[in-house]
Amino acid sequence: MRLNYFYIGLLGLFMLSSFDVKQQNEIENDLKLLTTQTVFEAGSSITLQFSASETTKPILYCTNSYGSTMISPKVEESLLLYSIPQNICQKTGLVYWKLINNSTSLSGQFEIIPKQEVASIESYIGPPSIEAGGLDYTMLVVIPTDSLDNPLSENTPVNAKHQFLTTETNDAIFTKHIIAFKNIYSKQESGRMLVSSESLNTNSKEFTIMVFPAIPVGFSISAQRPHDYADGNQLTTFETSILKDRQNNIISDGTFVTFFITNEKGNILKTYGTTINGKAKARMIHPDYETEWSIQAYVVGMAESNTITLKYKQVVTNFEVAFSNNNRTLTVGPLQSFMKQMIPDGLQVKALLYKDDKLIDTLSKTSINGFVNFNLKPNILKNDTYTIVIKTAGLEKTFNEIQLW
Amino acid sequence: MVGLNKNIVRTILIASYIMIIALVISGISALFGYLNTGADRSTMLHTEIKKIEQYTPKVIWSPLNNDGRPIDEESLKAIENDYLDAWYVKHIAYKTNTTAGIKDYYTESARLNLIDFITLNSNKNITIESTTLEHHPTLEFFSEDGQLAVITDKNVVEYKRILQNENTVLETTEISTYKIVLLLEDGFWRIRHLVKEATKNYDVKQSQIATNNLNIKGINYYPQATPWDMFGETFSTDTIAKDFQIIKDAGLNTVRVFVQYDDFGKADVSQHKLKKLEQFLDTAETAKLDVVVTLFDFYGDYSVLDWTLNMRHAETIVTTFKNHKAIVAWDIKNEPDLDFKSRGKENVMAWLNHMVILVKSIDEIHPVTIGWSNTQNATLLKDKIDFVSFHYYEDLEFLDASIRALKAEISNKAIVMGEFGMSSYDGFWKPFGSSDEDQANYHKKAQEIIATHDLQYLSWTLYDFANIPKEVVGRLPWRKNAQKHFGFIDKNGAKKAAFTYISEQ
Repeated sequence: MRLNYFYIGLLGLFMLSSFDVKQQNEIENDLKLLTTQTVFEAGSSITLQFSASETTKPILYCTNSYGSTMISPKVEESLLLYSIPQNICQKTGLVYWKLINNSTSLSGQFEIIPKQEVASIESYIGPPSIEAGGLDYTMLVVIPTDSLDNPLSENTPVNAKHQFLTTETNDAIFTKHIIAFKNIYSKQESGRMLVSSESLNTNSKEFTIMVFPAIPVGFSISAQRPHDYADGNQLTTFETSILKDRQNNIISDGTFVTFFITNEKGNILKTYGTTINGKAKARMIHPDYETEWSIQAYVVGMAESNTITLKYKQVVTNFEVAFSNNNRTLTVGPLQSFMKQMIPDGLQVKALLYKDDKLIDTLSKTSINGFVNFNLKPNILKNDTYTIVIKTAGLEKTFNEIQLW
Repeated sequence: MVGLNKNIVRTILIASYIMIIALVISGISALFGYLNTGADRSTMLHTEIKKIEQYTPKVIWSPLNNDGRPIDEESLKAIENDYLDAWYVKHIAYKTNTTAGIKDYYTESARLNLIDFITLNSNKNITIESTTLEHHPTLEFFSEDGQLAVITDKNVVEYKRILQNENTVLETTEISTYKIVLLLEDGFWRIRHLVKEATKNYDVKQSQIATNNLNIKGINYYPQATPWDMFGETFSTDTIAKDFQIIKDAGLNTVRVFVQYDDFGKADVSQHKLKKLEQFLDTAETAKLDVVVTLFDFYGDYSVLDWTLNMRHAETIVTTFKNHKAIVAWDIKNEPDLDFKSRGKENVMAWLNHMVILVKSIDEIHPVTIGWSNTQNATLLKDKIDFVSFHYYEDLEFLDASIRALKAEISNKAIVMGEFGMSSYDGFWKPFGSSDEDQANYHKKAQEIIATHDLQYLSWTLYDFANIPKEVVGRLPWRKNAQKHFGFIDKNGAKKAAFTYISEQ
């Protein structure tokens, strides 16, 4: 009998335990997602419905592209309603959720897709200036977005438009990895290019791309001068031909041209000019002695001109030197130009003083009214005999054994 | 008599006068000194680089094959830097529900999305501690003018702990794919669009490493002169080789050593220290001893935003030595359960879990364990680690029962008693402490229990130490002095009575 009770008890326990297991299952089964929709349009209100269990009100963890949060349910007629916060409903991408319950771990995901409209077209273009010639290009990048600032889905058509001179071009491109892009190449001509884009009937703003002329090609130079005398006074003006690029576009104003002048001694003089309407001008003062210049111009690193040569004739053929005031005052002159006129002020005259073939002093002055006076000061030059050499306009005169007292 | 008194009074008066004046002058001069500080000329130009690594998740770029302009290495590096910073400021923002730094890394319209979340979460009193552990970006597009880039970041491993009213509600690790549009604005690469394209729960299928052949019979090792500073200035392979000979001759086969997190240079592991560790392992190999390397010694932060730095530390060390013949196992952390109270059990457990995943992902040969401080906690994470190790400093009477209890829960994995021992200190600070004899009896008994259960073991420790750093047991002298006398060999190099029972020989 006792044994029977034991068996009954055991059986009861067994049934009880199986009942218990079943109950657990029921709770698990009880909490079920009823919402079947898994794709929502951005901006629509989303509520996840679960079949409710009477006792538990689990909270829902929810995460999207930008962040995560927790949602408490609302109980309505044995349903658990989780209304997804607005800021999550508005952003595209996957939303992953987990129901936080001790016994069950329900989780799932749904997708929010962008609205099929374009509210704004974000476009980026760069570089803002390109070179003519058909090799250089600028890139238009377009991100069509809906009214909730979501990028549109892949393969959204975008019309990339640009106008240049007399042509207007439309190119159909499609978004890939959120953006759509188009390389816009320059034409042969320089000028301004206007670029815009359109997607689903929404248009972007206008962009301006400067198509600058390409780098110049070889050019020629010429020289103009009032006379061909080496008077050290007049200016020779150098001028380039119109600088053009390979496509015959006049190169941009302000292009810097350097003129290199090489004289007979191999010394180099430089003068500069910048272009206006393709032409650059530069000036150089005439030499003061007979010489020959060869001139070549460069746009450094890009183009060079031909070489021209200019000859300058000697103007001062001879000059007198008078000694006075105990030979301490030297008067050089008259210095006369090509028509026997007094040479214009500013001709350089040098006096070199030697003692026993050793240079002890060099005096340098410029002419005034055709004359130059040198004063040899007694506190610098003691009373003695010196050799004095006078140099001007490429000429040279030597006076030996000049006694100063 | 009166005259003497007068003189004493005079002397005291004059002396106190001088002292007061001296005090006043030193006070004034200190004030002047303080007012003259600052405005150092060398700091005027702010030329020093202040950047320190805060956030170093693993980033693996796919081979470059992007549309648009080919990218140079510097630009890619700049994008990576700012992109990771964007994640970092986002983690901070959601942790604190503040917007600091967001405007530097998100464009004007994109930052609204973050601000919305911050408002939402701060109203519900939700904070999120999060980090990302891995990024696999692909550069999809780089614009001609270098101002716009699109990347797809595949399989971003994101760990999040969500707290509501400061209680953890959920811990989750997800693996997601994002598409990101970045714009170069004011010298910052800022996120313009961010779209999550795929996401799922991160389930790591961890392979377990068989530990049937594991046969650890060893000792925890520090050189006698430099305990807790083995890889310091006085590092000497000669000393170590001699000690290893003693250990080997005593019939042991393994040593357990500690790699200190700060000492080894944190996330940016010092090559110098790695070299020393390598020499150490080479010496062990020569002596035919195996080494259990314990990582992260003296580390105790565990905060979620520190993880990526910890991971680079572990990654460098494990990658460098995973093929070294002397390595027998990795011990992730020494007694992490002692930090449960101060750092929060959740923090520590999540940290350990991810660190185990990391080390196992790098080294697929050597088993991984955690050196729990007692038998009760030894079952934690038992499914993640390859063998279980615990430390035992309680009364040996209960060891047998504890091991039985542990074995009941862990049937399929090796169990190692990673630390045990007794101090033979008996002195001023602990008048009724134990003697050398007590210590010997302790180890005798311990070896008996070990033999009964066929247990693997690492005893504490070879030497008595003269100095114990305060980081080990604190400053209290009774603790310090006890810690000094755990060795089998005393200060003078003589073997103590316990040495007979260092192994089962």
